[in-house]
Amino acid sequence: MASRRTSSVLLGTFRAASRRPATTWRQRCCYHSYEYNSPPPFPPAESAILSAALSHVPSYGFTADALRLGARDAGYMDVSTNLLPRGVFDLINYHLVSQRLALKNSVQFPSAGEQGKKLGTGSKVRTLTLARLRANEPIIHRWQEALAIMAQPSYAPASLAELARLADEMWYLAGDESVDSSWYTKRASLSAIYSATEVFMTQDTSKDFIETEKFLDSRLGDVMKIGGFIGALTEWTDYTRHSAVNVLRSKGMRV
Amino acid sequence: MNAHSARALIRGQLLAGGRRAVGSVEREQYRCFSCTVRQAQQQQTPPKTAQNKDGTTHFGFETVAEALKEQKVRGVFSSVASSYDTMNDLMSLGIHRLWKDHFVRNLNPGRNPLTSGPSEQKGWNILDIAGGTGDIAFRMLDHASTINHDAHTKVTVADINPEMLAEGRKRALETPYARSSRLNFIEANAEKLDMIPDSSIDLYTVAFGIRNFTHKEAAIREAYRVLKPGGVFAVLEFSKVNNGLFDAVYKRWSFSAIPLIGQLVAGDRDSYQYLVESIERFPSQTEFRDMIKDAGFLVPGQGWEDLTGGIAAIHKGVKPA
Ligand SMILES: C[S@@+](CC[C@H](N)C(=O)[O-])C[C@H]1O[C@@H](n2cnc3c(N)ncnc32)[C@H](O)[C@@H]1O
Repeated sequence: MASRRTSSVLLGTFRAASRRPATTWRQRCCYHSYEYNSPPPFPPAESAILSAALSHVPSYGFTADALRLGARDAGYMDVSTNLLPRGVFDLINYHLVSQRLALKNSVQFPSAGEQGKKLGTGSKVRTLTLARLRANEPIIHRWQEALAIMAQPSYAPASLAELARLADEMWYLAGDESVDSSWYTKRASLSAIYSATEVFMTQDTSKDFIETEKFLDSRLGDVMKIGGFIGALTEWTDYTRHSAVNVLRSKGMRV
Repeated sequence: MNAHSARALIRGQLLAGGRRAVGSVEREQYRCFSCTVRQAQQQQTPPKTAQNKDGTTHFGFETVAEALKEQKVRGVFSSVASSYDTMNDLMSLGIHRLWKDHFVRNLNPGRNPLTSGPSEQKGWNILDIAGGTGDIAFRMLDHASTINHDAHTKVTVADINPEMLAEGRKRALETPYARSSRLNFIEANAEKLDMIPDSSIDLYTVAFGIRNFTHKEAAIREAYRVLKPGGVFAVLEFSKVNNGLFDAVYKRWSFSAIPLIGQLVAGDRDSYQYLVESIERFPSQTEFRDMIKDAGFLVPGQGWEDLTGGIAAIHKGVKPA
């Protein structure tokens, strides 16, 4: 199941990236943590219930029970969980969004002058990815439930959009400001690597998730080997574009 | 009613209908089969200012004195009390039962003893307004008992119309709740629920009822008053179809076919005509959501959920704690 989901996430990410450039751009400008004046992502009552509910996830999982307990902690009642139209998915989404927004405070890179050697964008991305994965630690034994809910047809689009925002945020925090054609491929490949590693981590029993770290490094290594992170996918898409054009030409179309 | 008697009734009405139609021509000239839709469109913007000044309101597209409306609504539901299922079937293209199931399942009534501390209040206190025949109430109790293992949740069914309540009591006899303290029926106007104390209700529901209320804002204010902080206001109501083509088809069906079928099946064209028109007059999803917010409720997400392309919608509000 895990591998099937990963591949569908991969496909979905590529598809989303290639089909909706305009939307992604819009998302990019509205969801970045650098938008300091943007309103908090959740209204107060929802935040109160959801943050309290999260503290029950380690023992109750991503379930309606955790939501109800959270509602009571926040001074509400069981029935008040009707405030969350997507129920348990709203709880998962709250975790995703708040951990994405927490990244900018949890990871601080020394500025160029402070140290002899400046960290490269690649190592920054690695640090950020690890930091985000570590934020799943307290609930990692419940994360497969969450992944199953996220993969449901009605929630998959929202889950993929959030994954794209995470990749975008990580590139942004790593200092990548390119706006060229590598923009999409960078985000697509990081999304794919992140979600594969996240799934790996739910099955990792090694001490301090050392195996997860190795897994991440070899995934990052894969893309680095073929032309430094960006290259991998650009080459692949260029190749397919050319071959598609050739197929059309062979059918007599003038392209 | 069973199939046999329904068929007999239709046959009888077909005969009687012809005669009656002739009789009512002067009053209803404009309601001929083919022109109702056009007529409806022309009447969609009645002179609203004049209406409020002289204390009138609308009864479907007819303008009537406010005092009369309550009486008239009562009349409509008296005349359709026993055949109201038929009416709901016609208006919802046969799927109102599924909507009601969804409405109740989604509210998930009842307190599960397996996940609740022992010292806490047992069960929910539910008020089902315009609950007439008990349709929603029985579903609530079934859900609480079988899904949440809750044997304490109570439903009070309130309706303005004694005949609808009588029908509900009769139907209750076929359920396990007839003689239990978990179900009771009261006659009440949703706009003035004096017999219900402030902050005493966990869940207030109204299904296919609120569009009939003379003062919808007053009813929403009363809902806010009787709900506990954190309590939920939930409305299932016919709404605005959100696809232009489907809307045109549905309007044609509801404005031209339903009153005719109402005539044939229930022998009561006027009541069905009113029902169709009252649906058309009901505020849009966004307008109604704003009415709920204006009363002080928090709304979940965009505030509503469309059912079957917007033929019906579920609106919710949560009283802040
Ligand atoms: C179409 S029936 C709905 C019955 C039931 N809730 C259902 O979903 O099938 C509408 C009900 O609203 C009731 N009603 C109309 N105006 C009312 C008011 N002001 N207060 C309480 N009930 C009212 C009518 O008597 C009628 O029983």
